[in-house]
Amino acid sequence: MKTQIVLSGVGGQGLISTGEILGLAASLFEEDMYATLTASYGSETRGTFTKTDVIISDQPIGYPNIDTPDVILCLAQVAYDRYVDKFHDDTEVYYDTDMVTPKEGAKGDHIGFPFRTMSIEKVGNIQTANTIALGLIMKRQGLLHKESVMKAFAHRFAGKDKVIAVNEKALDLGLSL
Amino acid sequence: MAKSVKKFIEGNDAVVDGAIAAGARFYAGYPISPSSEIAEGAAKELPRHGGLYIQMEDEISSMAALLGASLAGKKSFTATSGPGFSLMQENLGLGIMSEIPCVIFDVQRSGPSTGAATKPAQADIMQARYGVHGDHSIIAISPSSVQDCYDLTITAFNLAEKYRTPVLFMADEVIGHLRETVTEVEPTPDQIFNRVQPAPGTTQAEFRPYNYSTNMPAPMPPVGNPTLLMRTTGSTHDEKGEFGPGPDNINRVTHYLTDKIEKNVDDITITRRYQLEDAEVAFITFGCSVRSTITAVDMLRAKGVKAGMLQVVTVWPLPEKEIREVLRQVKTVVVPEMNLGQLAGEVRKFNDYGCKVLQANRTDGVLITPQQIISALEEE
Repeated sequence: MKTQIVLSGVGGQGLISTGEILGLAASLFEEDMYATLTASYGSETRGTFTKTDVIISDQPIGYPNIDTPDVILCLAQVAYDRYVDKFHDDTEVYYDTDMVTPKEGAKGDHIGFPFRTMSIEKVGNIQTANTIALGLIMKRQGLLHKESVMKAFAHRFAGKDKVIAVNEKALDLGLSL
Repeated sequence: MAKSVKKFIEGNDAVVDGAIAAGARFYAGYPISPSSEIAEGAAKELPRHGGLYIQMEDEISSMAALLGASLAGKKSFTATSGPGFSLMQENLGLGIMSEIPCVIFDVQRSGPSTGAATKPAQADIMQARYGVHGDHSIIAISPSSVQDCYDLTITAFNLAEKYRTPVLFMADEVIGHLRETVTEVEPTPDQIFNRVQPAPGTTQAEFRPYNYSTNMPAPMPPVGNPTLLMRTTGSTHDEKGEFGPGPDNINRVTHYLTDKIEKNVDDITITRRYQLEDAEVAFITFGCSVRSTITAVDMLRAKGVKAGMLQVVTVWPLPEKEIREVLRQVKTVVVPEMNLGQLAGEVRKFNDYGCKVLQANRTDGVLITPQQIISALEEE
């Protein structure tokens, strides 16, 4: 079983961080799982297009880039537009309804929530939109255990209890959608 | 049982962990994309392990500092990319001539010159072999995973110490920045090679810092040790390390510097075989292209094509025997690489078997895809 996940948006949205959490949770805290992460790497800075490819598999992973995603998160229109023609019928397209207007007739299963607004109103931290989306992806994909993801947060943000707590709140919100 | 820790980190970080595990305690360098994380990691980790990190003014001095520290007895390393690797060539030659162990990590990017600083390439392979003037041989290892970045870094230091020579670690931007699962097993003392020391009680009269009579180097005590004067020079020298420009000496030194690597090729080279047993078509590749090729082989096998892959982990010296075996076995070989055919040309040199050798090249700074590799085979 191999899941190819693209996290896309603009710089500063914490997408590489979310990718790291996915990779850490899968490879360190799940049984017999492999993960790879490649991030777009260029002269882009905050506010311009960025994406992270995460592959999670029960087999060792060869080619680490993703050409056709199984799951894609789009937190900005620029990211959606760049990928929309690569969606296949079964691609799950998670997008922020405040930031992205889906293309008419686009392939894939579109799942929209106002992640950014929810992060402000329900979690009280604008930087957790990606974590809410992560929870939703986990739930719909049956991917990873919450326990593994929380261990990944504890590993990545060791000593930052507030960060871990706010991410758990966001993750729970995503898991409840 | 050996201590083992599982991590999810990028290749450049695993290199630093591997270097520390191998016993490296000195780094001199000038940060450059896409290798900078190695400098950053070395700066952080070396002082914690009683080592020293120096940021130098450029790559010429970095390489010089590396040689100095190694002469003084410390396992030393640096990391760079194309432009810096070019600047290191002169002192790399000094390291080869003076037989000074050290490891140079070249995280390859698109070139020449500044090129596309953040984009991957595998185009420094010939520079690794022939960038230094004069006849010599070189050891160069190319990793294809984050696990390799840890394990093969230890191998690189061991080979450097054993053969008293600079070893090149030819990574690329893809593997340097790829994050994936790695299990870092702490090597046991018998898995670490430290340069041979003179027998206890050796006198200055008996001591020879160089030995050209076998294909293995002489013992190497640290410069500045209280009992033995350790001479060295980049000029052609005799066993005492003294200038020796006579024709016989020049000739034997030239042969020795090549032979100590080429005659030990079976000990030095590492290859990996993937689905080769019954293969009718084969890929021969290295570094990041291995990742795309493994997927290409899986895709071809799913279509009923008997495809396989030979990975040359040691790019220099080339594993000639293993490459010949593949050329003898199959009718078609494809060489995927992110340059215009640097390895393919070498494979053709060994092709005494009428095998068709095709190329799959990519030079636009984007990782070669499995589809492109398959197309190269299908378009023949």
